[in-house]
Amino acid sequence: MEMTFTVNGTQAKVEIDPAETLLGVLRERLRLTGTKEGCNEGECGACTVLVDGLPVDSCIYSAAATGGRRVETVEGLTLDELGRDLQAAFVAAGGVQCGFCTPGFIATLVSVLRENEAPSEDDLRTALAGNICRCTGYSQILDAVAATVSRRNGR
Amino acid sequence: MTVIGERIPRSDGQSKVSGEAIYGVDYAEPGMIWGALLRSPVSSGRITRLDTTAAMAMPGVHAVLTAADAPDAYAGWVLRDQRLFAVDRVHFEGQPIAAVAADTLAQARAAAAAIDLEIEPLPAVVDLDHALSPDAPLVHPDWESFVPTAGPDFPRGGNLAAESISDPPGVDEAFARAHRVISDEFVAQRQYQAYIEPKSAVGIFRDGRYTIHTAHQFPYNVRDRVSQFLNVRPSAVRVVGHTIGGGFGAKLDASLEPYAALLSRAVRGLAVKLVNTRTEDLITCPSREGAITRLRSAVDAEGNIIARELEVIADNGAYSGEMPWLASIALHCARGVYRAGPTRVVARLVYTNTTPTGAFRGVNGTYLYHAVERHMDHIAAELGVDRLEYRLRHLFTDGEELLNGQVLDDAGILRQGFEAIEAAAPWAELQAEKRPYRGIGIGAAWWLTNPSAGTAVVKMHEDGTVAVVTAATDNGSGAVSMGVTQVVAERLGIPPADVHIALPDTDVAGFDGGSQGSRTTRIVGKASQIAADEVVEKLKNVAAGLLEAAAEDLEVAEGTVRVKGVPGKSMTLAEVAVTAMNTVGPIQGTGSFVTPFPDFNPGCATGLMLPSFPTPTYHVHLAEVEVDPVTGNVRVLRYLVAQEVGRVISPDGTYGQVMGAVTQGIGYALHESLRIGEDGRYRERTLESYRLPLAGDVPRVEFFPLEHPDPDGPFGAKGVGEGPVLLPAAVIANAVSDAIGKPFNQIPITPEEVLAAIQS
Repeated sequence: MEMTFTVNGTQAKVEIDPAETLLGVLRERLRLTGTKEGCNEGECGACTVLVDGLPVDSCIYSAAATGGRRVETVEGLTLDELGRDLQAAFVAAGGVQCGFCTPGFIATLVSVLRENEAPSEDDLRTALAGNICRCTGYSQILDAVAATVSRRNGR
Repeated sequence: MTVIGERIPRSDGQSKVSGEAIYGVDYAEPGMIWGALLRSPVSSGRITRLDTTAAMAMPGVHAVLTAADAPDAYAGWVLRDQRLFAVDRVHFEGQPIAAVAADTLAQARAAAAAIDLEIEPLPAVVDLDHALSPDAPLVHPDWESFVPTAGPDFPRGGNLAAESISDPPGVDEAFARAHRVISDEFVAQRQYQAYIEPKSAVGIFRDGRYTIHTAHQFPYNVRDRVSQFLNVRPSAVRVVGHTIGGGFGAKLDASLEPYAALLSRAVRGLAVKLVNTRTEDLITCPSREGAITRLRSAVDAEGNIIARELEVIADNGAYSGEMPWLASIALHCARGVYRAGPTRVVARLVYTNTTPTGAFRGVNGTYLYHAVERHMDHIAAELGVDRLEYRLRHLFTDGEELLNGQVLDDAGILRQGFEAIEAAAPWAELQAEKRPYRGIGIGAAWWLTNPSAGTAVVKMHEDGTVAVVTAATDNGSGAVSMGVTQVVAERLGIPPADVHIALPDTDVAGFDGGSQGSRTTRIVGKASQIAADEVVEKLKNVAAGLLEAAAEDLEVAEGTVRVKGVPGKSMTLAEVAVTAMNTVGPIQGTGSFVTPFPDFNPGCATGLMLPSFPTPTYHVHLAEVEVDPVTGNVRVLRYLVAQEVGRVISPDGTYGQVMGAVTQGIGYALHESLRIGEDGRYRERTLESYRLPLAGDVPRVEFFPLEHPDPDGPFGAKGVGEGPVLLPAAVIANAVSDAIGKPFNQIPITPEEVLAAIQS
């Protein structure tokens, strides 16, 4: 079947299999490999993208259900001011080690910070319950968010 | 101006946060097709039927391979006990039986599932104690035919995969005259490394050689293993590394790589890619081994430990991997930080019909220190003395001699570790402030920095920047993207951004011992420092004529070669490098480094394969926990680490290793459960049931680095990454036992066990 949706601000028309996941379309058909497959069961959050602004696990999200919707991946968030600020803060704060989970974290956190300009650390720890990082222990990721928040609020 | 100890952005940071970095699973070759494996569904059995006809006729299929299509060869890191595909017998669930190559991944998996396979189940050896009993079936009836990969054979036989025994004089006599004897038994489950990027590999057979693209911690080990399985010489295999999505030891040995290589050969050189599903990855991963540890200590009337006995039985799984080498680590941990008199150590590694175990950060040490530190708490409680005071009374000082004869000149650093913890969390205050269901645990450890060889070439470009050619890999720690980068930048007086380190390629860079044992910053950093020194000397020699000064009067600093003490008399590195093109030719330097093993007594034990611990580091941890009496959940409220690091090269890298390792240790202590059923199969099979630590599970670790620069390390560096995973299970178990008033001697401590203990 044919499906039309908006990816990172550009309209895309793709031929898809009705059973295909959004992650499969992004990675295999559009070669947007910044979004990662870690578990394919909605547990690790490495595949997190934004659909109409909300974070979803694209590995268990039906591609067909994305028709007409607006999808943002890490590649698009690199062109977004908030996304770029977060990315720079991740690097500066040591919030990225192997980096495989990072695109998913960026997606979740963009969504969180669009809703709430200054979340508490407890809010963030809860909001990140769907994103697993095996390397960092999360502290430096939280530092990166704090740095992003103070930088943006100081602008 | 120095960059050592400064916070710098990791060189691969931007590509990782933006999604541009190409990991192993992202890598693609032109015209690439896909592979899949048929794996054994049972842990022990005889293959009675294996017919690939139907699979071969499936859409898109190019090749289906079984043992009949593979070289008749045995491979293994330490012992050559493994075939590429199961032959007649299967020995663990997930063992490859056949491999398929097809146009798409879905076609390859469908064809693998269509292979006609029948297996007659056989009894599985699962229980560790039973594995060594005379009536246990042999996992490998043909064990005698296995040949060590290098060097002489080691103690092994039947289901005993390796053994290391140290039996010094005086143990039995001390136990006979002991005032009391305190005994404990500890059980630790397996732990899955659970890196977020599943394993993958792309194989290409071209010009009679195999090229393998993989995201791997140890490319040279992949080269060796593939060459063994495919029965070609090592140089017939080229391994190209890609960005790694975590490894933690599980990506040190080959996995999918030899299958990708053999499949490519079978399809006349088309590139073939394999990628694990998460469940495949979990059930076949060389996890941290489960173990039973039994400890006895003899104590005199004054409360001094006068002798000790430690027995550990560890689960090798169905094949040996790296494990036999590690058996002697028990000797180094049994009496590693506290005096305990003559100590008998018996370490046995047993074959079972389960997935082969392997290296996971802090190999063997996590459960050995859990045992030793739980035992210390038990002894102190029996004697009615304070746990901390009892530890300090037995604590090693400078010059202590270990069971293997190694002398720890600087073990007094341990006391500094306890002092650093005390300053931040005074023990008496913690005791005085204690509330119901809260507990405190403390413990100490020592550890090694892996000494394996490494080498680097530093090339000076004509624009004044440098490239470092090395087969070292950055598994995410920052050891390459920050540590080695900073060492080279410092030596050459250039910004870290002017140092470029390419990904590993075994055709290009010399041997490297891999991203393991906290070795990269120290070993590769040192090799790169030596290489940079050669560059410095060459720069000075070229510049000497241009600056009309003697080479020994020159220095390389701040992007220039300049005459010492003569302001303004200088040239940029770029100018010198360009001049060199017309005088001596391109400037580059080479460095190699390996840490020698410290002196030891070879007669101290049998099976002493890892004889001593090079470049020791010292560690003291404290945890405060709270137990929820309704749910049985344990929450870590506070976690402190004092750690000897040599010298901090990269603060973000160092803290990142400590915080990350403690988090893995908290998971190990409390909820990462990789249980094995009676059928030898894992009960946990996905990340839904295998519960990893989340952001809400871990406190911010309070870290106190202790710096005693190592004269042999680059700018004083020692290893950092592994040590902090050694103690969380120990100190959390001590803290939970303290909170409830009952001993918790199993890892992990589950809510069910906590509730049972509260209710009993």
